Amino acid sequence: MENRAKNIIGKVDVPLLGLFLVLVLAGLLTVYSGSFSEESPQIYSLDKAYGKQLVWITISLIIGVLILTLEGSFIRNSAYIVYGLVTLMLLIVLFMPAIKGAHSWFKIGGFTIQPSEFAKFATSLAIAHFLSTTGVKIQETKTKMIVFFLIAIPGFLILQQPDPGTLLVFFSFIFVMYREGLSGNILLGMLFAIIIGVMAIFFKASEANVNVFGWVFAANYLYLFIILIATVLIHFGITYLVMPRYRGKKYIINIAGGTMALLLVFSCNYAYDTVFKDRHRDRFEVMFGLKLDRKGVGYNSYQALSAIGSGGPAGKGYFKGTLSNDKYKHVPEQSTDFIFCSWAEEWGFLGSFLLIILYTAFLIRIIMIAERQKSKFTRIFGYCTASILFFHYMINIAMVIGLAPVIGIPLPFFSKGGSAILGFSIMIFILLRMDSERKDVLR
Amino acid sequence: MLVVTLVFGVRLLYIQVLNDDWKIRAEQITQHKVTIHPARGFLYDRNGELLVAVNQVYDILVTPKDVKDIDTAQFCSLFDISRKEFLQKIEYACTGYNVSYKASTFIESMSKEEYSRIAPNLKNFNGFDSRRRTNRGYPYGVAAHVLGYVRKISAEQYSEDQNVGEKYYNQNDYVGVTGLEKVYEKELRGERGSAFFLRDYAGNDRTNLEENYAIAGNNLYTSLDVKLQAYGELLMTNKLGSIVAIEPATGEILTLISAPSFDPNKLSGREFSKNYKELLNNDTLKPIINRPIYNDNYRPGSIFKLVQALIAMQEGVITENTGFACNKTLVNCHNHEHPSNVQIAIKHSCNPYFYQVYKRLIQRGEESSIFKDSRLGIEKWNASVKSFGLGTKLNTDIPGVKPGRIPDANYYDNEFPSKSNPYGKHRWAFSTIYSNSIGEGEIGVSPLQMANLAAIIANKGYYYTPHLVKKIGKDGSKRPEYLQKNYTMAAAKYFDPVANAMEMVVENGTARAAKIDSIIVCGKTGTVQNETFNDHSVFIAFAPKENPQIAIAVYVEYGTWGGVWAAKIASLMIEKYLLKELSEKGKKKEQEVLDALILDKHSDFK
Repeated sequence: MENRAKNIIGKVDVPLLGLFLVLVLAGLLTVYSGSFSEESPQIYSLDKAYGKQLVWITISLIIGVLILTLEGSFIRNSAYIVYGLVTLMLLIVLFMPAIKGAHSWFKIGGFTIQPSEFAKFATSLAIAHFLSTTGVKIQETKTKMIVFFLIAIPGFLILQQPDPGTLLVFFSFIFVMYREGLSGNILLGMLFAIIIGVMAIFFKASEANVNVFGWVFAANYLYLFIILIATVLIHFGITYLVMPRYRGKKYIINIAGGTMALLLVFSCNYAYDTVFKDRHRDRFEVMFGLKLDRKGVGYNSYQALSAIGSGGPAGKGYFKGTLSNDKYKHVPEQSTDFIFCSWAEEWGFLGSFLLIILYTAFLIRIIMIAERQKSKFTRIFGYCTASILFFHYMINIAMVIGLAPVIGIPLPFFSKGGSAILGFSIMIFILLRMDSERKDVLR
Repeated sequence: MLVVTLVFGVRLLYIQVLNDDWKIRAEQITQHKVTIHPARGFLYDRNGELLVAVNQVYDILVTPKDVKDIDTAQFCSLFDISRKEFLQKIEYACTGYNVSYKASTFIESMSKEEYSRIAPNLKNFNGFDSRRRTNRGYPYGVAAHVLGYVRKISAEQYSEDQNVGEKYYNQNDYVGVTGLEKVYEKELRGERGSAFFLRDYAGNDRTNLEENYAIAGNNLYTSLDVKLQAYGELLMTNKLGSIVAIEPATGEILTLISAPSFDPNKLSGREFSKNYKELLNNDTLKPIINRPIYNDNYRPGSIFKLVQALIAMQEGVITENTGFACNKTLVNCHNHEHPSNVQIAIKHSCNPYFYQVYKRLIQRGEESSIFKDSRLGIEKWNASVKSFGLGTKLNTDIPGVKPGRIPDANYYDNEFPSKSNPYGKHRWAFSTIYSNSIGEGEIGVSPLQMANLAAIIANKGYYYTPHLVKKIGKDGSKRPEYLQKNYTMAAAKYFDPVANAMEMVVENGTARAAKIDSIIVCGKTGTVQNETFNDHSVFIAFAPKENPQIAIAVYVEYGTWGGVWAAKIASLMIEKYLLKELSEKGKKKEQEVLDALILDKHSDFK
């Protein structure tokens, strides 16, 4: 037993574990600074955010160590069971009383548990297991469909809570698919779809009118028209530039793409009018700069940017923040989604730049680990981990520094929230465990 | 991924290092500068009694967001407002600078009494709270004209301060508007402090970054004797006129009374506008006017004979023992013994005697033309009279002091009887202006100047400019100009016969009503002819004769002749001041004065 423990510890990837611990510690310190009060300075207080956070971190590390003692094959074989259990939790949580308008939490004593955080690693396990099964090929439509359902089932349940932020994270699995051989055209197509969709919403939100030779159009109609023209132009382009024998397929792709684009714009317009609520519409308007509203919807963003900007090159110093902490509360949700503000305010550009470097290094290390696996399961799981963490990191920071609309997802290891830290830790420790036996097992 | 990190890095570099906009915005969000208002100085009387201090008042505050589950009907009846008013006030508390989650004033300046009535019930109404504040308060309720009042700075004064002034005030500052509050504004107001706070999202100040303490205003130690002031105001009830009492040895004003008066508390707090309008417009007796300094067109009447006698002796046109016949053909007089010297002439206030004296002063025979001679004479006479503080503005520390008028050659040349049709140069002589000889004619004197005249005679020839503040600040001193002796052009030796005569006036002359058994009072009556109504009653005096402690002038408008009301009031003031308690005789006199119905008898004057 002793030998075995030594064995595992000796093989654990130290850079990843080190980066993980640094990020967790930095996160804890930031939560501590943000909710510190002179009246009760002790760090171990369950009434305070940092007290709870410390408890959750401790639990996470204990579970993490337990995971390190598990057999890799056991983890792999439990993948569907874990996936099933978490999906069940997602179903049950919908019947729990709503907190802040969402049925996302189980409430146990003073602690709340958010199963959607566990869905991330559970789904990763399930996908990794499925795709690494012998004979499964990503190129096959059947495989794609199964993977789609593996993602869509928890995704659908999460949407019912509703928690669109977390749902968004599930889109990150597309990167994994790409790595595992999914056609790049699909990724490219999605990228185009996002650009076209965002522009559609932009024109819709701007409610601008365009004057064309005395004819006044709403800008979004003109946009539709342009897409139509583009399709036609591409059609002629194909006629003149492509050799006849390849034309047929290109024509079909072009017409299909153009039709899809038009449909996308129509559905964006439709969604904007009917599905979106005013608050969503306002967020888009603020993000597009159509509205500079520092009191209403733009408030969060305005306060967050003020806090970050006020940090200056070197920051105000630990405990010296004046905007993003519990005492002044200028930045809303500073301990959760906007925790980066606390960090950036106290440590300035040096600190915030160091943090994004740390994150980047952390993500690169995960990908490096994934790439060195002989085991397909571990590689896929590693990519899942990297993709999910990257999505979180990208969307959260972009939102906080005003490059994306306000979407409520946490910054991994930093944001207060027990389930999140536990879920991410489990992911990292599973990866560490799987990685540690990469030389032992051929799979 | 590296692209994302690069974008983030550039963006962070921009907002944290390169661009200062967000730093400025952060400061706007977090920092809050608060002005700390210093306590305004108090005013004390000469014995350390508090004249002006503070009144506790209570503001009722409302935080509209927290107003829940309250019994509006009960609330309205408790505060005596209508439901409509209630809703208006709540709405006002949510508009403009007021926001619903912050407390704002619901009712301003409730008195202690009003507040104690509602205080026990206030806690039943969620969202309502109270705040204690201070207003200017006047424990004795006297000396309104002297003290002045404090008011929110006017738009004109504010813009003047900003444009050409010292740029000290804010638009919500309170400033002294009249009286000592105005004159000593800079000393009383102190020095503003400021504090820098970090505030939280709701606008509450949480952390004090720095603080420049406010420096409280200086207290003023006035020369007033509040008991004497109050007593004088009591004696002047139902009368029009003035009392001014001065300590001759220092020039300190003991009382400065303008009747009718009013309670200065009326001009403090919520009812200011209403009360001020009433005082200014609705009262035909014009209580807002400060008569003893502002009414300088009172003719002094016979008390002016004292000045004439002193100047004449100094100029050598008469001696102490010069006598003139009481020739009633020159000017009207009453029957009395032969004025064989100055003392007897003063004692009986002999008009023909002073006609002769004035004639000698004006027509000295230096020019053959009486017109030219009069011009020379009046210029000399004018200079001498002005040395008594008459016809010249006394630099007393109260706003609105007027100079009075002692006519000179220019006046008769160009201004009298009217500017459009004056006598003209060399068109007038003594015979034209002889009314001045007995304090009638074109002489105008304020009661303050009359009291100063009494102080001059008490001091035998000099005066300190009458003033109201003994000390600025506890260890301070008075203004330096009030330590300067002003000498008259009459030598000290000529004052003895005048003082002796004044003693006789009280002992057995025209002012026997002013006699006090245990004190030698020196006085002089005056009766100022008044064509439209009863004569005005004037009396000046000082006492005791040796080492005088008090010099006083009493002017009772329409009070008939000087011996009646003015002398009685003056003697009561002197007795009260010097002996503290009134004698039996004094008490009888007091009752007569209090019962006097000078105003009530005549309802139709303006």
